[in-house]
Amino acid sequence: MKMNYRHKILIILFSLLGFIVGTVLAQDTEEAPVNLNLKYYMPENNIPFIKVITNKKVGRQFEAVKGIAVNVYFGEVAESKLMGKIITAANGEGRVAFPSSFKSSWDSLDVFTIVAESVPAAKEESLSAEMTIKKAILVLDTANDDGTRTVSAQLKEKRGDEWVAIPEIEMKLKIKRSLGNLNLGNEEIFTADEEGTASSEFVKDSMPGDEKGNLVIMARVEDNDDYGNLTVEKTVPWGKPVLSVAHVWERTLWSTGTNAPLWLIVLAFVITGGVWGTLFYLVRQMFKIRKMGKAMDAEPAT
Amino acid sequence: MEKKQKFSPEKITSDLLPQQFGRRGMIWTICLVVICAVGLFAYIRQLQKGLVVTNMGDYVSWGIYISNFVFFVAISLVGSLITAIFRLTDVHWRTPLTRISELIAVSAITFAALIIIVDMGRPERLFYLFTHGRIQSPIMWDVIVITTYFCISLFLLYITLLPDIRIMIDAREKLGKRFSKLYRWLGSFWKGTEAQERIRNRAITIICIVIIPVAFCIHTVTSWLFATTYRPGWDSTNFGAYFVSGAFLVGAGGVVVAMYVFRKIYKLEHYITERHFNNMGKILVMLSLLYLYFNVNEYLVPAFKMKKEEHEHLTGLFAGEFAPMFWFAILVGMIIPIFIVIFKKGRKPLPMFVAGVMVVVGAWFKRYLIVTPTMLHPFLPKYDAPEKYSHYFPSWEEWAITFGSLAGMLLIITILVRIFPVVSIYKTLTDHEDELPS
Repeated sequence: MKMNYRHKILIILFSLLGFIVGTVLAQDTEEAPVNLNLKYYMPENNIPFIKVITNKKVGRQFEAVKGIAVNVYFGEVAESKLMGKIITAANGEGRVAFPSSFKSSWDSLDVFTIVAESVPAAKEESLSAEMTIKKAILVLDTANDDGTRTVSAQLKEKRGDEWVAIPEIEMKLKIKRSLGNLNLGNEEIFTADEEGTASSEFVKDSMPGDEKGNLVIMARVEDNDDYGNLTVEKTVPWGKPVLSVAHVWERTLWSTGTNAPLWLIVLAFVITGGVWGTLFYLVRQMFKIRKMGKAMDAEPAT
Repeated sequence: MEKKQKFSPEKITSDLLPQQFGRRGMIWTICLVVICAVGLFAYIRQLQKGLVVTNMGDYVSWGIYISNFVFFVAISLVGSLITAIFRLTDVHWRTPLTRISELIAVSAITFAALIIIVDMGRPERLFYLFTHGRIQSPIMWDVIVITTYFCISLFLLYITLLPDIRIMIDAREKLGKRFSKLYRWLGSFWKGTEAQERIRNRAITIICIVIIPVAFCIHTVTSWLFATTYRPGWDSTNFGAYFVSGAFLVGAGGVVVAMYVFRKIYKLEHYITERHFNNMGKILVMLSLLYLYFNVNEYLVPAFKMKKEEHEHLTGLFAGEFAPMFWFAILVGMIIPIFIVIFKKGRKPLPMFVAGVMVVVGAWFKRYLIVTPTMLHPFLPKYDAPEKYSHYFPSWEEWAITFGSLAGMLLIITILVRIFPVVSIYKTLTDHEDELPS
């Protein structure tokens, strides 16, 4: 009887475990809805654009959803407010730049709203997203006092006719490089002080720059809920000049064909000439055999 | 011990003269022609639409075509192994194998050259290699050495055929008129005089001496196409020797397969004997062990260090996307054939044939593994590349062209053995005479 009781307990435990696992798996295998997200970008305080992102949750990750047609509106959903239409690419993204026709209305606003709506296919529900952005610009300044070089940046919000620096904003100060950007100082993220200024000393001495030693310094606010993504760049002569020496006209292995190293040309010709010379000699021997045979054919039979 | 039978010269000649295709031969040839035609159709599509019909891209710019090219170059090396090395080292039992290896060499090197042109996308650009070629580039060396090896292999095949052509001219009644003009054009001048024979023998010796370094060069240079590039899996000083040893192995495997097939079809049991299989088996084991040794060097040493840049590539081979193919190539292409052939019973014709097929198939996949996984794992990070660029599977056009080229190689061998004797009649007769008591 005791065994039976234990069996019952085990069966109940396994059933419970099965139920929990089944529920979890069922949740995982359910088709996740497609998300529509918007991001605002303001590069170089210039023409801003909106990035539309469509994705869905698969397992524990988000996967891009391509081919979703999305209309992007300025302020409200209306034909006259249509900024552009996009279809999301393979990476689930699409971009809409601010059209020039919206410039005057955009300039007049301190805060603006962007609305996006998907164009649903048959039997599909429309997706929508909305974001409100406070208009701002990013200002980058550099100073060189007695060899101490500092970089400071401010995020300034538009309030009426004034641009007011915003305190306690997190931003990144970077040195622009070819395949990735380097931190300007020892930290990656800087927080603006009470006056709205984030600054860092430039400590990367002897950083290779261009021919004149120019480096590109950049400040960046990323994924801020109020202001979106802003970037600003400035060229400063704080790098080490790198003079690229063109070896292309010298006799090197990486030069053009006519400027191959002499030792290589000689070696190649000696080897190739040796082998082909032997081959031509052998072909000549073949003709010799042929000539012998033909001479025998020509001889009158005795 | 197998007892060698003595036959009359007439019987030897009659046995070894080329034979007309039977029903099976015709079906085989038609199948090869059809596969070649499909490959040609795919290539025409590629010419019309461009390389976009392939699944190659920014990262895998060398796909199945280059794998196939390396395979052809590898198997062509056998011409120098059997003919040249065996002749210079005076291996007496080589006679029935030399012609087979020469045929494989000529047909394989022909398609190695052709498949490179296929990979170029626009064939007319081959011309620029000669007008704008850079002698500093291993690609240029490859073009030179392939052309040279092709000419030498063709010359070697021709010069060793000369006495047989004379025999075939004399046997025109038996052979019919179909190829008699061709035979006369190729070798009517061969009278077999002492002077002609002396020149021919000397020429063969010279060509055998020349072909060995050229054959080593062809595969070393092919390996340098990879090794001079700074990439995971290719950045190796071992590559030249690794490629040459692999080429010898696949070549020997190819000869074993061909030996078995020709022996069976043309009933050449008295000429291609169990002794030949036994000896080739020993060579196959030695070459497999040698190639296995180079593989250990090639994979175990980097895996022991597991440098960050190599990590993704190596784990992809050992336990990732390419693991089934990698272990298939290692096991089927090397280890299992060693275990089959190392025992005397395994060196009988049928097990040898099975081992040979395994070596050849394993070798083809091995070439694919040398080329493709490395291309998928560049040192520089992939930047803003679509997901599909991280994987490669050949398109149907690529498969069709690849199979078409493989069928083309077999078709050349098939046509050549229809026209010429698969075992040298003259050499067999000479060997036979030498063995007779004076």
